[in-house]
Amino acid sequence: MVKIADLKVGQIIKDEFDQIDRKLLRDYAKWSGDTNPIHTNDVVAEKAGLKGIIAHGLFSYGFVTKLFEDFLEYGKYGKLIETDVEMRGMVRCGDLLVTEAKITKIDGKRVYFDMTQTTFTYVDIKDKDGNIVKQFEAGERGYVTEKDIERGLVKTREVDEGTLTYRERVATPGTAIIELNE
Amino acid sequence: MKKNAQFLIENLSGKEIPGSHSLTVRYKSLVNFAKVFGIKDPKYVGSEEEVIACHAFANHYTIKSLYTLLLGMKLVQDGKERDFILNLGKLLHASQKYNWDGCVDIRPGDRLTATGKWGKVWLVEANMILFAQLIVEVKNQNDELVCRPVVSAAIRPGGY
Repeated sequence: MVKIADLKVGQIIKDEFDQIDRKLLRDYAKWSGDTNPIHTNDVVAEKAGLKGIIAHGLFSYGFVTKLFEDFLEYGKYGKLIETDVEMRGMVRCGDLLVTEAKITKIDGKRVYFDMTQTTFTYVDIKDKDGNIVKQFEAGERGYVTEKDIERGLVKTREVDEGTLTYRERVATPGTAIIELNE
Repeated sequence: MKKNAQFLIENLSGKEIPGSHSLTVRYKSLVNFAKVFGIKDPKYVGSEEEVIACHAFANHYTIKSLYTLLLGMKLVQDGKERDFILNLGKLLHASQKYNWDGCVDIRPGDRLTATGKWGKVWLVEANMILFAQLIVEVKNQNDELVCRPVVSAAIRPGGY
């Protein structure tokens, strides 16, 4: 059960989604009605200079509202009042999308959050000699740029198969407000 | 380019967007939309009698409404008719806000109507990107509010 008395400023709620693929984006295009082919057709996206399809900005936004629907157990403990996000970075197939909301203020029954959606874009895994043992779509299509490296967004970490190179970037910062029943 | 930007800033800010866009909410669209996000609760994906729209469904009616309202919009500049957007490929989605305070739920069969007005319109001269804020109201067939979306569009040089 979610109650005002149990929440604290600084508390974080979080969701991770790693199933973004072409079929899901086609489904989203179909049921949202946003059929711009840069989201579903690689050839069109490449002609537009995008190196491959990008997710609809509002597709990733859907995970913001879902985060609060899950938190409130689909309206059982309260309602979503407002969400407000900026679309700063492209979200791609294969990305891990992490949606996080941190409580900044509690006023009566209303709870205010700062939001971020961060993408983790996997490039490749190299063995100890620097040979690529696994390449991801971002590596094949060149989604990660020199500018990303200059901005310090490209990182590495050790995994079972070797050294994973990935980009970590805030795609959508924003705010949200919910209202609890009690 | 700057002249076109100035024209749009002067002629759009605070003005009503002519016309409206209506759509009927289909059960199938509503449920399949929720399923894209992995939603399994019967409140959003249950039977036609019990289901209501998940919050993200606002994407569905907002985008359809904006395409209709904006792409059909004509302006007269220097005695000549022009579209609001000169090149759709230059249009970017900069930000999105949804407010549901005091709004009612959306159910299958509802007839939604969106109307809008322009909010702030401004040019960032450093990159010559024109930003335009659209303030939208979406009501159902009973004239009840279902959502207040605010959309910020960014138009790159060549698009305005």
